[in-house]
Amino acid sequence: MADPLHQFQIQKYVDLPDATLPVVGYVDFAITNSHVAMTIAFFAVVLFLQAVTSGAKVVPGRFQAAGETLFGMIDGMTESIIGHDGKKYFPFVFAIFTFILAMNMLGMFLSFTVTSQLAITATFGVIAFAVVVVIGFMKNGLGFFKLFWPTGAPLVMRPIVGLIEFFSFLLRPLTLTLRLFGNMLGGHVALKVFAGFVATAAIGAAGWLGLLIAPLAMGMTIGLTALEFLVAFLQAFVFAVLTCIYLNDVVNLDHAH
Amino acid sequence: MAPPIAQPPGPPEPVLGETPAEAAAQQTHASTEVAHGEAHGSGGLPQFEFQHWFGQIVYLIFLFAVLYFLIAKVFAPRMRRVFDERSSTISGAVDAARQVQAEAAGQAEAAKREVDEARAASRATAQSAKDRVTSEAAARAAAEEAVVAARIAEAEGAIARTRDAAMANVSTVAADAASAMVERLTGKAPTAAELKGVA
Repeated sequence: MADPLHQFQIQKYVDLPDATLPVVGYVDFAITNSHVAMTIAFFAVVLFLQAVTSGAKVVPGRFQAAGETLFGMIDGMTESIIGHDGKKYFPFVFAIFTFILAMNMLGMFLSFTVTSQLAITATFGVIAFAVVVVIGFMKNGLGFFKLFWPTGAPLVMRPIVGLIEFFSFLLRPLTLTLRLFGNMLGGHVALKVFAGFVATAAIGAAGWLGLLIAPLAMGMTIGLTALEFLVAFLQAFVFAVLTCIYLNDVVNLDHAH
Repeated sequence: MAPPIAQPPGPPEPVLGETPAEAAAQQTHASTEVAHGEAHGSGGLPQFEFQHWFGQIVYLIFLFAVLYFLIAKVFAPRMRRVFDERSSTISGAVDAARQVQAEAAGQAEAAKREVDEARAASRATAQSAKDRVTSEAAARAAAEEAVVAARIAEAEGAIARTRDAAMANVSTVAADAASAMVERLTGKAPTAAELKGVA
């Protein structure tokens, strides 16, 4: 049976000169399956949006209606969570949503899932976190730190609660990263394991027991595939929603607290 | 494939080769392991082969930045324009419909007013005709009545005159009769004054 973790292996298609960089350390530069999958996801998003918006009509066709649904969903979400300022942050949230969605969905069709790479999800997590912090300081200056000052708590407790708030804030990129990573990793491992059972039974390695195992495992694989499509969409959406909520924290810092 | 200079292949030389086949197998195992990366051999997830991180991260940030600018500068404004156009089209159509409706209502109102006016005019005409006829009839009746009344008055006057004359004759007759009776009874005719006094 194939190693269920083999699908996460980075494979080099074109090797480039390696280097040892000051902070990063040893870097194996190459054009890998990860780069190719990211590129496909990128062009899928760009071509989709191009097809939807170029020659967009007042009365939409089917394709445009599908694109508008995605667009309207994120647009409505940014506006309902962040409020009137939401339109300004829509492109960022929409870029995150569509890119992650494309990568997740692509993972259902390719043998490699970009968003099951910790490097990728961590980058997304850090990008979202960094944007929140930068916008927070740009909009509020040092008032940004009011975010951690719990005005609702008793005065004695405030420093302690504030400290907890601060650390939970610092954990945000980590939770964003691990949620997406864990979901994609776990789903694809489970898929591969059950599909592996089917293959094992099919080649007769399990003997007559295979007649029992194969249909069960096949049913599981089909069910998990459907579930993974749902998870692929849901995790992209959850990432976008959380990004919105974190943005709202710093954009409406004065009104909310 | 990059030659792994930094990390030499795992299995040390002395272990190799009890038999040539085994040695070859071990050799291929070692080389695939190296090709897959060092961390794979340690049983961890392939995701923790940190030498691949930097290339992926840089590329992802690049792609994300491009995607962000495309969405912010091209796709989102286009989509917004379509949304705005749609809402303006819809509100324009609704306004036009409302205007047409108002116009229709106005016309209906005007038609109703015209009908009312016509009805009132005809009613007035009918009323005036009726009034004229009535007043003419009344005038004619009054005139005839006047003529008749005059004639009645004239007749009554004539009757009264005749009666007065008759009444006057009656007293003369009565006086004559009385004087005659007196003359017959007394043998002398009473004087006119005496007659007057009795009467």
